[in-house]
Amino acid sequence: MINAVLVFNNAGQPRLTKFYTQLDTSVQQRLISEIFTLVANRPNSSCNFLPYVPFRASCFVLRASRLLSPVSRLPSPVSCLLSPTPARPRPAPPTNPTACSLPPLLASSSKSSTPTTPHNDTPSLVTYRHYATLYFIIISTSTESPLALLDLIQVFVEALDRLFENVCELDLIFNFETLHATLGELIVGGVVIETQLDKVVEGVKAQGKVAKRPVNEGKSLGGFGRGEGLWAGR
Amino acid sequence: MFEKSLYDLIRGLRNHKGSEKEYIASSIKECRSEIRTNDMDLKSTALMKLTYLEMFGHDMSWASFNVLEVMSSPKYRHKRTGYLAAVQSFRRDTEVLMLAENQLKKDITSPTPTVISLPLGAIPHVVNPSMANGLLGDLLPRLTHSHAAIRKKTVVTLYRLALVYPETLRPAWPKIKERLLDDSEDPTVTAAIVNVVCELGWRRPQDFLPLAPRLFDLLVEGGNNWMAIKLIKLFATLTPLEPRLIKKLLPPLTRIIRETSAMSLLYECINGIIQGGILAAVEDTAEGEEVARLCVGKLRGMMIEGDANLKYVALLAFDKIVRSHPHLVSQQQDVILECIDDADISIRMCALDLVVGMVNVDNLTAIVGRLMRQLRNAPIVSSADDPANDRGRNTGVIPYAESDDSDAEESLRPAEQNSNEIPPLPEDYRVNVIRRILEMCSRDTYANISDFEWYIDVLVQLVRVSPATKPLSAAAADPEDDIHSADVGRGIGRELQNVAIRVRSARSEAVEAAQSLVIVDFRDKMFPSSGNGGQSVLKYAGWLVGEFAAYLSRPDPILTSLMHTSSVQLPPRILAVYIQAIPKVFSRLSGNDQISWTPERKTLMSLLMARIIHFLDPLSTHPDLEVQERAVEFLELMRLAAEAASGTSTSHPDGSNAEGDFIEPPLLLTQALPALFSGAELNPVAPGAQRKVPLPRDIDLEEPINRNLASLLAHAETAGFESDDDDIWTAYNEPPASTSTAATSLSYHDTPSAMTAAERLDAAANPKPSSYQNADAEDYLDADILLRRKLERRERYKDDPFYIDSEKERGSRGATPLGRIVRDQTEAAGEELDIDKIPIMDLSKELGMGSRATRGEEGNGSGRRSPRKKKAVEIIADETVGPAEDSHADFLLLPNNKSGTGLPKSALLALDSSALGSLSLEDDSETPNSNSGSRARISALQRERKEKEDAEMRKAMQEVERLRLEMQRASERLEARGETVVRKKKKKKVRRVVDVEDDGQGVEGEIQGEKVDGGEEGEKEGVKKKKKKVKKKVEDGEGGGEGVGDGMGAEGEVVKKKKKKRRQVDLDAEA
Repeated sequence: MINAVLVFNNAGQPRLTKFYTQLDTSVQQRLISEIFTLVANRPNSSCNFLPYVPFRASCFVLRASRLLSPVSRLPSPVSCLLSPTPARPRPAPPTNPTACSLPPLLASSSKSSTPTTPHNDTPSLVTYRHYATLYFIIISTSTESPLALLDLIQVFVEALDRLFENVCELDLIFNFETLHATLGELIVGGVVIETQLDKVVEGVKAQGKVAKRPVNEGKSLGGFGRGEGLWAGR
Repeated sequence: MFEKSLYDLIRGLRNHKGSEKEYIASSIKECRSEIRTNDMDLKSTALMKLTYLEMFGHDMSWASFNVLEVMSSPKYRHKRTGYLAAVQSFRRDTEVLMLAENQLKKDITSPTPTVISLPLGAIPHVVNPSMANGLLGDLLPRLTHSHAAIRKKTVVTLYRLALVYPETLRPAWPKIKERLLDDSEDPTVTAAIVNVVCELGWRRPQDFLPLAPRLFDLLVEGGNNWMAIKLIKLFATLTPLEPRLIKKLLPPLTRIIRETSAMSLLYECINGIIQGGILAAVEDTAEGEEVARLCVGKLRGMMIEGDANLKYVALLAFDKIVRSHPHLVSQQQDVILECIDDADISIRMCALDLVVGMVNVDNLTAIVGRLMRQLRNAPIVSSADDPANDRGRNTGVIPYAESDDSDAEESLRPAEQNSNEIPPLPEDYRVNVIRRILEMCSRDTYANISDFEWYIDVLVQLVRVSPATKPLSAAAADPEDDIHSADVGRGIGRELQNVAIRVRSARSEAVEAAQSLVIVDFRDKMFPSSGNGGQSVLKYAGWLVGEFAAYLSRPDPILTSLMHTSSVQLPPRILAVYIQAIPKVFSRLSGNDQISWTPERKTLMSLLMARIIHFLDPLSTHPDLEVQERAVEFLELMRLAAEAASGTSTSHPDGSNAEGDFIEPPLLLTQALPALFSGAELNPVAPGAQRKVPLPRDIDLEEPINRNLASLLAHAETAGFESDDDDIWTAYNEPPASTSTAATSLSYHDTPSAMTAAERLDAAANPKPSSYQNADAEDYLDADILLRRKLERRERYKDDPFYIDSEKERGSRGATPLGRIVRDQTEAAGEELDIDKIPIMDLSKELGMGSRATRGEEGNGSGRRSPRKKKAVEIIADETVGPAEDSHADFLLLPNNKSGTGLPKSALLALDSSALGSLSLEDDSETPNSNSGSRARISALQRERKEKEDAEMRKAMQEVERLRLEMQRASERLEARGETVVRKKKKKKVRRVVDVEDDGQGVEGEIQGEKVDGGEEGEKEGVKKKKKKVKKKVEDGEGGGEGVGDGMGAEGEVVKKKKKKRRQVDLDAEA
């Protein structure tokens, strides 16, 4: 099953956190930052999985100062499924000799079980995908198919793109309720209930109109959150 | 309307760069007041803001009651906010969960589909067993809701319910199955059901075999790739139970492999064929060959294609095949070896795992060479790059959006694959590689190694590329925890030791290698230039140069290096080994009795001993006890030896050693010292072998060795507390009186009063060793006396080195040399017999001792062990030497007789593990809420505690409700009398009462009737009544379901009947 779905940006700021098992808030935050550290330091050419490693020694983590400093971003996409706009190239972040295994929080627990065969119930797979400024993460057990999870993330992002029309991080910041609703149409309680784009979009739209972010946030009215649809769209 | 909206909050955050903390604090404060207002809009906005901030780690558990309020708003918009907040913030210990149940029930039964969706999405996050029981009845009808979206969400929600409350499945499963078997069901619902079935499937596959035909049809019909993947995964767990499925599955799977355009489906087909044992099942047929070729061919294609993800999953698949079909994998050796050097560490790791599996005699050198090259060429990470903290722990996350919004406005597109920077080798990867090399090479007791000199070179090289170990982790780590420790030096050292012991032909090379590692002058060359990487290897190298000192080509520099000033800085574990090695090397230098005792030699020896004493002296107060003990022991020994060598006993009248300047060197140097360390050759002992040595029937471990121990200890203690020094002095000196002033004063001068208690204890403990030796030995002897006696005895038995040997061993408390003596006393034939009779080979085979399986395990170790025990028996029985030997022989035969017991023992072990396996499975199927690994370990405990707390909570709540009811009734009475009541209060109360009535479903009367203690009972009643209801429904539904022959219904019925019976009994009892 799927244990958690996370979205955070290139600076590690969470944009969506959904844990399908109850976790303390502080533990959640630690997990997010651990996963971010692991994921953000992988070159883009790497595969999109953080594997389970039996002999895990210790994972490196970034210094706090570096994380909170102004963000340096990974080079932006050119090959894109969603929109052909070329993006500005940016300096790559200094690569850190980072661990390649599971985040310590997950690894420490899976270590307790037999090291070579992670149990079906332990979250042992972190699948991630990087879109422009955002990372989409799925933490799952080994019973999920890794490639299928990548497709699932793709469906999620495409659904968001459909809902927000050329979706960007700002949309998700200001409409985090819609973000949750979209996820809720895809996954319930850690089990995937829908993988068809149309049905997902349909399901979200049935819950109410999806707000657009303001063209210029300075001009906008301060009504968001007290009622949807106050924004006129771009 | 001056309140902030969520939008304002986010904007504010973005405008308060640098002062986010203050801004957030003030915002939360505002929320606190806003959330208390009666204005539902304001409330829900505040809640929304809190939920947003919760994402960044700001606690909102205090608002849980307000969450409930917003959830109960009639407006959908508010409800949605409330439910989101509940999902994000409710935890197991959230108290209002009890109250939420009614709201959930209400919304599940709402006529509006969007409203129904809210609780359906939220229940998986908040459900607990008691709530599951309550909600079940309302959820079941939703399975037939007219909206497909509701049906599929209900299925999943029921699954989550079943995880915390397995009973759910009794009524729910027949209905879900009905849905699944319904051809006209919406395909999306079917897909959701398949997902759930798949989740349940690997927990108890046997229950799903009857569904196989339908599932097979679904797989063939296809259409939904996700569902197809899940079905294949499910079938992979079913095929072991139903081999006939394999034949049926093969055609569609191969068809999919050939036809599908979805790479994920293709991969999962291959994976399913591998995991389901299909490949193994059809192995020898032409068909099977074709399948194997097809799968491996496709996997090879994935490796070559260039997509990192495909490469990774292909490696995973290969990894699964390699266990059963190594030949298939080694055909692809070229592409796999390529991956070892892949830029992506995930892929490298995977390839590494794989390579370990496919290694054989032919390719070992090539593979290891490749890995070695990788290690050598990448720079070692300096400790400066080692960041010790992560942000979450230190500062918490501060929510902010970027300063330049254009970034955030960027459309989400997959990140481009152009940053190809190769990171330097991370340390844990390095560690992993080294471990894997060791694992590969030592596999099956070096089955794959043909050239041990090469292996030793590899080991020495590995030391040089070892990453530094962090001092902190080294200190914190359990010294025995080798597997997870980052300290690979230990692993390398152990291999070196292993080779030296097991492979006699390579021993001199191994010792040579150890020698080069130990010599201080070479240290820069042999070890990584920065950090303390590989340092732990010194522990083993130090042991090797000591134990095999005879092989040393340059003993002098070794001795110098061991006593180098830098050695004192080594970790205590290593230092202790060094201290042990020093006299060994020294005895190698001094032990030659062929060379005449010339003044030159005497000077040299005296000098050496002086240096040793100089080195050991400060260590006798070392904080580490092991170091201290060894230092003290050898210090005394060396002093004696020095005395003997110098022969200047005039200064110590009691030294009684008057050897003088013989042409023959002092026996202490040529005989006694070497005899301490020579003797039986060490042999590897299988892990657990010692445990197999049966306990002699006549030994009683419960019986104290010295019955007077308690009183001795007490005596020693009281003596220690006495402040009167003279008293202690006399007490201490009494027994030795006139004989041992010299030695006694030696130890006394150091720490006169502080040492007394300890020495007292020593004295108390001494009876043990003394009675080991001789029944006539006095019970109360001081260490120094023993030493003196030893010397005397040595004099007496000059010609019998073995005897002296044993004495010295006792003095230094060497455990193993003692065994050596015994072994020497034993007839060689008996010994050999012993070796053969201990079922070591069987043992290691059966226990499946993996990499460290000891092929040459010999009885020597256990033999050595057993005589010791044997001797211990002697002490107790106060037997003399003669009978002891007899019983010793008996004992040696024992392993023989008991070899039968050894086998069942391991079989028993095997049974044990299988029982464990089934237990854990059961555990999972019943309580899989432990499925998040972070809590997997503690969850069992926690669950228990939670359950207890829940029960207490329930009790308390019931009590509260009861009181409320009473108050309510009182207030009603008051109202009836026309008294005015505060509106608000009353409103609240009434609502609560309604809650209770819902909850209890007409058991209100009972609850009222119950006293506090009976609260729980009352609830049980409620539960039972409900169950009865449910059961009726189920029975209705079962009419159809029974035809399928599913055992579940019947089983359920039996259980229910039982319950019913019990309930009646309860009722009777109550009545």
